[in-house]
Amino acid sequence: MSTDRLTAEPELQQPVSPAADKQTMAGRARRFGALHQAERTLRSMRAYGTVILFSSVSQPIMYILAMGLGLGVLVGEGGDFAEYGASSYLMYIAPAILASTVAMAAGIEFTFPVMEGFKWRRLYYGAQASPLSPGQIASGHILAVSVRFGIHAAIFTVVLYLFGAISSPLGVLMIASAMLGGLAIGLPIMAYVSTLRDEKGQMSLIQRFVIMPLFLFSGTFYPLTNLPGFLQVLGWFSPIWHANELGRVLAFGQPSPAWLILLHVLYLLGITVAAWLATVRIFTRRLGLEEWRGRTPGAKADAKRQDRLAVKDAADVDRSAGAGTATTPDSTTPASTALPRIAFRRGFGANYYSGNIRAVFGRGLTAIRNNRGVIFLSGLLEPVLFLTSFGLGISPMIAGVDAEQVGLGGGGTISYAAFIAPALLAVSAMNGAIFDSTWNVFFKLKITKLYRTMMSTSLGPVDVAVGEICLALFRGGIYALGFIGVLLVGGLIDPLAAVLMWCTALFVALGFASVGMAVTSFMTRFQQMDWMMMVLMPMFLFSATLFPISVYPAGVQAFIQALPLWHAVELMRDIAFWDFSSLTLVHIGYYLVMIVAGLALTTYRMKKLFLR
Amino acid sequence: MPVEHAIRATGLTKRYGDFTAVDGIDFTVNRGESFGLLGPNGAGKSTTMRMIAAVASRSAGTMSVAGLDPEQNGPEVRARLGVIPQQDNLDEELSVRENIIMYGRYFGLPRRWLNAKTEELLEFAQLSHKATARVEDLSGGMKRRLTIARALVNEPEILLLDEPTTGLDPQARHILWDRLFRLRESGTTLVLTTHHMDEAEQLCERLIVVDEGRIMAEGSPAGLIRDHSTREVLELRFGMDRNQEQAQQLTALLSSGAASADGAAAEGRATGDGGVGVGGGGGVGFSHVEVLPDRLLVYAGSAESALEQIHAAGLRPMTSLVRRSSLEDVFLRLTGRTLVD
Repeated sequence: MSTDRLTAEPELQQPVSPAADKQTMAGRARRFGALHQAERTLRSMRAYGTVILFSSVSQPIMYILAMGLGLGVLVGEGGDFAEYGASSYLMYIAPAILASTVAMAAGIEFTFPVMEGFKWRRLYYGAQASPLSPGQIASGHILAVSVRFGIHAAIFTVVLYLFGAISSPLGVLMIASAMLGGLAIGLPIMAYVSTLRDEKGQMSLIQRFVIMPLFLFSGTFYPLTNLPGFLQVLGWFSPIWHANELGRVLAFGQPSPAWLILLHVLYLLGITVAAWLATVRIFTRRLGLEEWRGRTPGAKADAKRQDRLAVKDAADVDRSAGAGTATTPDSTTPASTALPRIAFRRGFGANYYSGNIRAVFGRGLTAIRNNRGVIFLSGLLEPVLFLTSFGLGISPMIAGVDAEQVGLGGGGTISYAAFIAPALLAVSAMNGAIFDSTWNVFFKLKITKLYRTMMSTSLGPVDVAVGEICLALFRGGIYALGFIGVLLVGGLIDPLAAVLMWCTALFVALGFASVGMAVTSFMTRFQQMDWMMMVLMPMFLFSATLFPISVYPAGVQAFIQALPLWHAVELMRDIAFWDFSSLTLVHIGYYLVMIVAGLALTTYRMKKLFLR
Repeated sequence: MPVEHAIRATGLTKRYGDFTAVDGIDFTVNRGESFGLLGPNGAGKSTTMRMIAAVASRSAGTMSVAGLDPEQNGPEVRARLGVIPQQDNLDEELSVRENIIMYGRYFGLPRRWLNAKTEELLEFAQLSHKATARVEDLSGGMKRRLTIARALVNEPEILLLDEPTTGLDPQARHILWDRLFRLRESGTTLVLTTHHMDEAEQLCERLIVVDEGRIMAEGSPAGLIRDHSTREVLELRFGMDRNQEQAQQLTALLSSGAASADGAAAEGRATGDGGVGVGGGGGVGFSHVEVLPDRLLVYAGSAESALEQIHAAGLRPMTSLVRRSSLEDVFLRLTGRTLVD
């Protein structure tokens, strides 16, 4: 009523700037502030809107082809999903895959952008200066991400419907359950992230220790009851499981007692509401009058380390003071001797390679040591989790894999766990190498500009590139060591194969690292990295990792065989099952070409980037 | 073989597509000299620095740094340089001390030697008490000093500083200038870019004024002021819309009272190039009036007398300020634009 008058008034007089009426402005911000913030976030998402839309369409198709049809062939014989109300394996997993992809997106949307808002680009402090309240800033982000989830889920559902993976019209409600699941897993993470003042690998910790386990033990690809009891408990806590089950009830009427359905809804709603409120509270503390700057993760450990170093320093000074009483002036400033000669390589490529890879590698090690080791070690957890989830969860549905079918000699059947273990090792080598050579390199290239600093010294581009690749290999080597250890203990491989597989893991990692780095050198924005993930995902799903390639028609097989991961997987299996053929040489050759081509392109690009 | 000059560039040109960032400039920096590149943002200063530092290729021209071609011997040239970029690019994953040690490692220097050298540099940068601190816990001035200390780890013959004190508070600036002065005295060649006049006047023995990739003038700060400006400047404010008409009135008033001999033109720019004439008549030594959006600059040998004449003529500026000419005025004179916008 009064608003009508206020907005109408200016028209009677001369046109007045809408900014002139401060009271209306403030009132509008009070009511719709969260929507303004949401609009801003959605607009910024438009920058990578194509990627979002593309992934919403391609993800369901990929999962349907890979898991539904590919794995479905294996499962089809041993599993019967009628008791759950689904007529096929594909139908059974479809709603769960929707919920899981939304949860994965939540893991991204509620972490990096929040860090960006508080620390990296300080966007929230811009909004803070406007009439928006901190709570509205928080809610605005949540609303915008919900819209993103909604669009994703809607497209996903349409694709599933087209593939006949949904039968009930109630299936449309799956969109709501998936969104709720995404919020329930994402909001507590957002609340945590918004307390952080600094990012010291927390994002990857969340990814590996929270989202991955919750996803892998949420009964997405098999009923939760397939798992041993203690892992089932993990599933009960997982919002993804609740969203999965809810989706299944809605999509094909999975028989569930009413109390359980109610429990799913209440659990998801409860977490969402509680975490939403918590997030608003934290935003208010941080952006409100209190000006609380947030916690610095690992601050205590840092302080301890600094104290220790300071004590050591003091001792050093004392010692040198004690030793040099005769020459007191020198004791405070240790007189350095003359500058040692800085050595150079001369001759071929002296302009690009100074023979000092060690320094680049050494810097990386120091940085790893300064960051907390747990992040570093968390990398080996991922393949173990995958093996546990798929090995234990899917095995009951699959009698075993026919050795003949997967192209291994000797006949007989092999256990599903033994079948996927070498493949998972190859995948983990790929993931580690790609992560290091893409995300980390991109960060040092564009955000911290570390390489530019290095290039102002006597280092050449080749030193930098090779040093970084060595670092990626070092990480990859450690990750692989952990996973191979688990395989050895589990009796899935023998010691000789273990050694060879470790070497192969490094070899594979080198291939991916050199190509990954070359590709990264072309990237200019973070969003382009999403396209890279878009290539990796299908590679993982289709490259005969979780089921034999023979389930596909010949044409598709040929395509898969052209991809690098398939060669790595096959190479690993050849070693694990001690079954070599002339194809083994082809796999090795494939990687040699990749390494050489990748390194050549990387060097060329480094020159371009740093010696413009 | 000793080379007389530290840096020599002839016809130095850098093009990015259609855009010419550096347009055929020639300059020589002598050993032990402190040399400045002065110009507004986008004048091509940083690009020139990057070409000296062997991280940018030339589109044309020749360049020799310590007797070597940076494009042919990148690592070797950079080994003789200390580079202090415009923005501190310290390694946030390392501690203060580690930053210097690692940087030294990039030059392939042995760790044992670096340990001692690092303490010395921390002392020099007044950061010894922060040796184990994290980089992000340092203040802006400390970060800048650490960047400089780090660049000194290879005992460079030539130190390249790109806008060394931009963004620092006055106190931090003076500490930094003091450190740079010591380096200069110890014989290090300094090459610095800046758009701060006072910095150039403090630190540079010789400088070139660059604009749009070309050299506008060259000389010592005092020489440039002598050649291109009057001794003093009178800054007047009449209010935004009255500046232009007041300028003509002032020019008429002051030039008639002063050097009536050559009957200086009544336009904004009075005397032609080739030295600003300081006509002694009337003791004002009036040269010309520059019109800026917010104020008028009256160039005169004695600004005090000029102000007296203006008051005597009944003109009442809102504010007036008498100051000595600076490089800012030289730049304004040469390009018709101010440096800091």
